[in-house]
Amino acid sequence: MKELKIDVAVIGGGPAGLAAAIEAKDQGAEQVMILERDVELGGILQQCIHDGFGLHRFGKRLSGCGYAHHFIESVASKEIDVKLKTIVLEITDQRIIYAMNEIDGMMRIECGAIILAMGCRERTRSQVFIWGTRPSGVLTAGTVQRYINMEGYLPGEKAVILGSGDIGLIMARRMTLEGIEVEGVYEVMESPGGLTRNISQCLKDFQIPMYLSTTVVRIHGNRKLEGVTVAQVDENRQPIEGTERYIACDLLVLAVGLIPENELSRQLEVEMDPRTKGPIVDEHFMTSMPGIFAAGNVVTVFDLVDYVSLTGEIAGRGAAKYLQGKLNLELPAKDILPGDAVNFVVPQRIRTANAEDSILIYFRVKEEMRKVEVTATVDGEVCMRKKHPIALPPEMMVEKIQVGKIQEDARELRVSVKVG
Amino acid sequence: MKNKIVQAIKEDETLSGYQIEVFVSADKIVTLTGEVDDWQQVVDCGHLVAKIKGVRNIVNDMTAKGIVIPKRDRSMEIQQAMESGNETACDILVIGAGIAGCAIARELAKYQVKTIVVEKNSDVAEEATKANNGNIHPGVLAKPGTLKAELNLKGNEMYTQLAEDLHFELKRPGSLNVIYKKSEWRKMKALQVMRVTGLGHLVPPLRQVMKVPGLKWLTGDEVKKMEPHLKGEPIGGFWMTTMGLVEPYEVCIAMAENAVENGTEIRLNAEVLDVLVENGRIAGVVTNQGVIRSEIVINCAGVYSDTIAEMANDRFFTIHPRRGAIAIIDKSRKGFLKTPAGIRGGKEAEKNNTKGGGASVTPEGNLLWGPTAVEIPWKEDKSVEASDLDYITKLGMSVTNKVKRSEIITFFAGIRAADYMEDFIIERSRKVGGLIHVAGIQSPGLASAPAIAEMVAGLVYEERGGLLVNPAFNPVREPKPQFRHLSHEEQDALIQKNSKYGNIICRCELITEGEILDAIHATIPATTVDAVKRRTRSGMGRCQGGFCGPRVLEILARELEKEPTEITVKGNDSFILKADNRQPQKGGSHERTEN
Repeated sequence: MKELKIDVAVIGGGPAGLAAAIEAKDQGAEQVMILERDVELGGILQQCIHDGFGLHRFGKRLSGCGYAHHFIESVASKEIDVKLKTIVLEITDQRIIYAMNEIDGMMRIECGAIILAMGCRERTRSQVFIWGTRPSGVLTAGTVQRYINMEGYLPGEKAVILGSGDIGLIMARRMTLEGIEVEGVYEVMESPGGLTRNISQCLKDFQIPMYLSTTVVRIHGNRKLEGVTVAQVDENRQPIEGTERYIACDLLVLAVGLIPENELSRQLEVEMDPRTKGPIVDEHFMTSMPGIFAAGNVVTVFDLVDYVSLTGEIAGRGAAKYLQGKLNLELPAKDILPGDAVNFVVPQRIRTANAEDSILIYFRVKEEMRKVEVTATVDGEVCMRKKHPIALPPEMMVEKIQVGKIQEDARELRVSVKVG
Repeated sequence: MKNKIVQAIKEDETLSGYQIEVFVSADKIVTLTGEVDDWQQVVDCGHLVAKIKGVRNIVNDMTAKGIVIPKRDRSMEIQQAMESGNETACDILVIGAGIAGCAIARELAKYQVKTIVVEKNSDVAEEATKANNGNIHPGVLAKPGTLKAELNLKGNEMYTQLAEDLHFELKRPGSLNVIYKKSEWRKMKALQVMRVTGLGHLVPPLRQVMKVPGLKWLTGDEVKKMEPHLKGEPIGGFWMTTMGLVEPYEVCIAMAENAVENGTEIRLNAEVLDVLVENGRIAGVVTNQGVIRSEIVINCAGVYSDTIAEMANDRFFTIHPRRGAIAIIDKSRKGFLKTPAGIRGGKEAEKNNTKGGGASVTPEGNLLWGPTAVEIPWKEDKSVEASDLDYITKLGMSVTNKVKRSEIITFFAGIRAADYMEDFIIERSRKVGGLIHVAGIQSPGLASAPAIAEMVAGLVYEERGGLLVNPAFNPVREPKPQFRHLSHEEQDALIQKNSKYGNIICRCELITEGEILDAIHATIPATTVDAVKRRTRSGMGRCQGGFCGPRVLEILARELEKEPTEITVKGNDSFILKADNRQPQKGGSHERTEN
């Protein structure tokens, strides 16, 4: 078995991992290695040929591939080791990684720091409990995207999309452009799951109808999908009898949510946040285990890749500092907590003495609110206020907080949203 | 007898108001006709009549309002097949490559006979065999004196050697009946007394329990020690230590492959359209792939075994499809339960002609909840309903309430091929020479399969007046590497030997390209995505093929030298891709417009 010793291992070569590796290297970590299971770097961005990426970071609208390319080039220029088609089987709490690929076989890699950047995966048909049979022709949106954009195949002629998250919306447009008839987008919730701009650009521009409070209740066809039954739902998301409608189709596209891919994190037994379904992280995106960091969608599912890259950079910087002994882990960490109307916050902890001048706090509201004020309080004392015209659950909010305003002896920081 | 039957129907509250015709043949086969309101009444009537003493079996032609079971006219297809000139011959023809058909094929391979197995699906194990809980029942529940009782016990015992020879996974954690109620505990202790003293032999309903080896009575503490995650405070347990766990499709594939390695031919995608009978004897079958001549035909056609019997003019039973739905829990709960467990005297398991149902475990470690037992009119309807999952969840929660519904990664249903006597039908046809029925094979069919096969070999011996032993028979099927079960050192060595084992295709279950290639180039080649899944586990994990699906498809297309658009999930028209979008002239569904 091959034995290696490196400074920073980054698990996953998607946007979070790429940014983390580059930043760790820039901040002085010598041997940085990306372990990527796919044949190329870029993660899911490889199949995102639509534009709209990088508005924040590069000030222009790039395709997913274009966005990833910036980072991939940077990685190539910085002597960062990249192991492709490499899968991590195990991480120990001593920061030893067992990883494998066709060329190296099994590797035992001793790491100074590890950054978890495995991203997320799609929820499946079973996880949203759609009844009926199990024919071919029922695919997740990401799989359809891969078939159409990367492999060059059309998986059907007439599609129904379940879920109005961004991936569902993007695929509605993409399939229409490729000649697949999109009958409609169905959303079980009362409001759309995707960004407003995507509803406008992907549905309205193409006259694709969206049905809210409506879901697919049944799949028909024994071998090949023959159709689906949709029905309206009540406030408890239960189908309303008498509203059923049969739609003949040969493709059901499921865009029913993403889940952080945390099998390795769970195996490592880092502390998890049930709200984000990701590891609890501190101001440097370090998990509860010293030297193990997490970045991007493994922490929580972000809606913009810019945020994913940013958290990658924070974790990369953190890993470099950790190696240099610049993080004092003896200090007690303060909790950052979701207050009124807030679903979750990331990061969940802070050691103010280790932090930079300001930190970004990412959070989502529980429900749609208009004319809101976001407040951050330190042990009940307001340290930041900001007004926004609207707050929507699908649109992640970010606020910058000056660390200087958090007193040394404070216990907690709380982020709340209220109308007014 | 007819009067008794008519009387019984008249006295039944739910059936008395209907016009139900009863016909009793000379050999005590009862035919029922008439229309009732719902399907359950059709089934209930059949079961009611089956209980009447002397009835041999039931042909139930009753219908329910609004339910139409379509019957296809296949005369054109039959004519085409007859005229195709495609004709082969064998000594023994087996219809159906489920667990029964494949076990029989392997058993017959021990003798000097040419056997052909025909299967309408694109793979073996495609029906009930792939969709059950994989329990090798200890044999406690079978009614004493039935074929099920005898063959279950025998089959269970045979599995140990079989697993050794065929290299499939067999675990024997036993099965646990958990007791919470004092009344149940008293009953179980009484049973223990009957067993230990031997008094049980004198009580006819207990005769089966007396024969089952390895029964243990546990105290509440022992139960909790064995299964710490059980709900509440168990006061005792009944541990049937011989219960085994297998992946049922794996057993079936192993038997089929070993049969083929020993000279059996298995024809997939070959559906029997008609059975040829000449002068009261079997002459062969007509399939969509041509005529196969054979002097012996073994009917293991599962839910269609009554249809096959009818084709041979030997209709004496009706299969009423009984659907069982199952849910699989994410393997992050591996080890959470060690044994399949059910609640003794629980409300859920009452009624229903099914063995138990509760929380089981697969050999791989996934928890498995179910199955349900729902009578349905259609033999192909494998849908899962909300009510099924509610029932399954209740079953699972009654055993342990720590596992949440959101941990379910998939659910599916299989159809039990039940007849109205609710026993196996394994016999030489009384009407047609050379025809052997192996019908009504439902739970504990999997556990009984090896014993069923031996019994059928005996019937073939009788039919032919002898069988010559095949001295070349090799009972062993060589194992293939399973990457996930190896140590890191062994994994490293395997990759050094063949780098394809270093390429993980299915991330959730850790399945390598090497294993997928092994499956595609196996004795019975895997040619569909599901066939690869059953042989390797790729796609069985929590993402349910989201990641590996496209890659498996690509490998299948490459290895089988087919277009990706020709690859299916489970044969027939279950294609995944509609059109090659980069070559519109080759099957593209639309003209590409320039942007």
